[in-house]
Amino acid sequence: MPYDDPEPEDPQELVGVELPGDEAVTREMAAAFADEFAQLGFTRAQILALYREAEYSGAHQAWRLLGEDEVARIVDESVGVWGRFTCIVTDSPDRDGEPEPLRFIRRRS
Amino acid sequence: MPTVKNWQLGRNMDYPYDARYPSRQFAFVFNINRCIACQSCTMACKSTWTFSKGQEHMWWANVETKPYGGYPQWWDAKILAKLEEANPDGQVWGGKPADGRFGPYGTFEGQTIFEAAQRTLTSDSARVLGYLPTDEEWNSPNIYEDNPVGKRGVRNKLDETGEQLPVHNTWFFYLARICNHCSYPACLAACPRKAIYKRPEDGIVLLDQAECRGYRKCVEACPYKKSMYRGNTRTSEKCIACYPRVEGTDPETGGEPMETRCMAACIGQIRMQGLVQVAEDGSWAEDRYHPLYFLVHVAKVALPLYPQFGTQPNGYYIPPRWVPRAYLRQMFGPGVDRAIENYASPSRELLAVLQLFRRSNRIIYKYEIQEGPKIYEGSLHGRKVELYNDTVIAFGKTGREIFRTTIEEPIHVRSNAHANSI
Repeated sequence: MPYDDPEPEDPQELVGVELPGDEAVTREMAAAFADEFAQLGFTRAQILALYREAEYSGAHQAWRLLGEDEVARIVDESVGVWGRFTCIVTDSPDRDGEPEPLRFIRRRS
Repeated sequence: MPTVKNWQLGRNMDYPYDARYPSRQFAFVFNINRCIACQSCTMACKSTWTFSKGQEHMWWANVETKPYGGYPQWWDAKILAKLEEANPDGQVWGGKPADGRFGPYGTFEGQTIFEAAQRTLTSDSARVLGYLPTDEEWNSPNIYEDNPVGKRGVRNKLDETGEQLPVHNTWFFYLARICNHCSYPACLAACPRKAIYKRPEDGIVLLDQAECRGYRKCVEACPYKKSMYRGNTRTSEKCIACYPRVEGTDPETGGEPMETRCMAACIGQIRMQGLVQVAEDGSWAEDRYHPLYFLVHVAKVALPLYPQFGTQPNGYYIPPRWVPRAYLRQMFGPGVDRAIENYASPSRELLAVLQLFRRSNRIIYKYEIQEGPKIYEGSLHGRKVELYNDTVIAFGKTGREIFRTTIEEPIHVRSNAHANSI
């Protein structure tokens, strides 16, 4: 048997399974990634770069299926809400009398 | 067989031992919507606990791609199939979701792994329906998942455009998993040596290495397959919930309980771990301003993984909002629709509590919200959104403040070089 041909008895062989999925699911997946990364403080350019990156399979898959324009529209909508504020985290001093800790300024969430 | 109360199933169920509950329970919430499978958690655990000879295949923490990935391969599909075989067409939920803490997802009318074992297994030692994964299934934690392989004939290089991967018009998500430190552990129930025990102070399930003789009954019984056999010591091992950190003995925090390594390493900020108060009947005692209690019992956005197995797992997940509901209902129970609705249109308090994720390595015991003014009102993906400048304050075990978060509009300071430019 040639090296690349699948062996039916090989337990490691990839088994294909058909799962339901349509454009609405892809669109919701793209919107979820845009929302979450915008909340993590990513900028529009950073989020779009992530969609274009083949290694981020979920986002990239949505980008290939929906196209750059539609993904950019989804990202703009998310960044328009979550990207307009900055989240400020202030740690408490470990013990009384210690100097005030640094304020960690992060983009939202 | 004794009967115990399972609040996740909304009914009593059979379990080989009488109910015993810890005063607090190790629990965690993972927000799947955020996980990118960077495997930082996986490697944090691996480099801390399972780097030794004989532990090569051990991944106490792992992240797998659902629906087709799994470690060991097909673990959930296999145990679901066994339950279906034991109780054909009977693995269903019924009843109405309760308002209280008992039965919030309705009533599970099917068979748990303990109940199905009584119907299908005959040996006295077989108390739990399970199976032993093959060596091949343990071999590769992420085999054939979503990493594009390189072009044929080009070594040590990934495909730059991912073209080797077929593009399907479908969906997937990443499921991060550790031991659930179940309230009714299947591993504990199955161990003939009684080598596995649940700690009364924090509910962490541990496996006594001195008592273990490597019969692998726990490996067979754990439906989540989080007990693993080590060939060179001939014993089984499992996640220990980084108990020295949870106990507060790590010098970094000066006695304050600290979250586990996998939680602390999460760069996607998907994880929060804590110790929840347990009531006399094994359900969570009311603790309104504990963040995990809020997420599970008030906001109801976090759901147990495969509650129908019956072990009352203490790992909870905010389900991915894009995945078809039928699949999610099988994985997280009938609470999925409400959880996604509540997460997609978050309440003011939920938005505040989500700000607590991964702000500190210390375990949060309580939060407080100081309400601020409304700063934004609009719509997002067709849903109404309101944002407030609320301050969320997290408190540790001793009641001391750990940190606080608030929101500000960004201030851009123009550099001197361009002071007059517009």
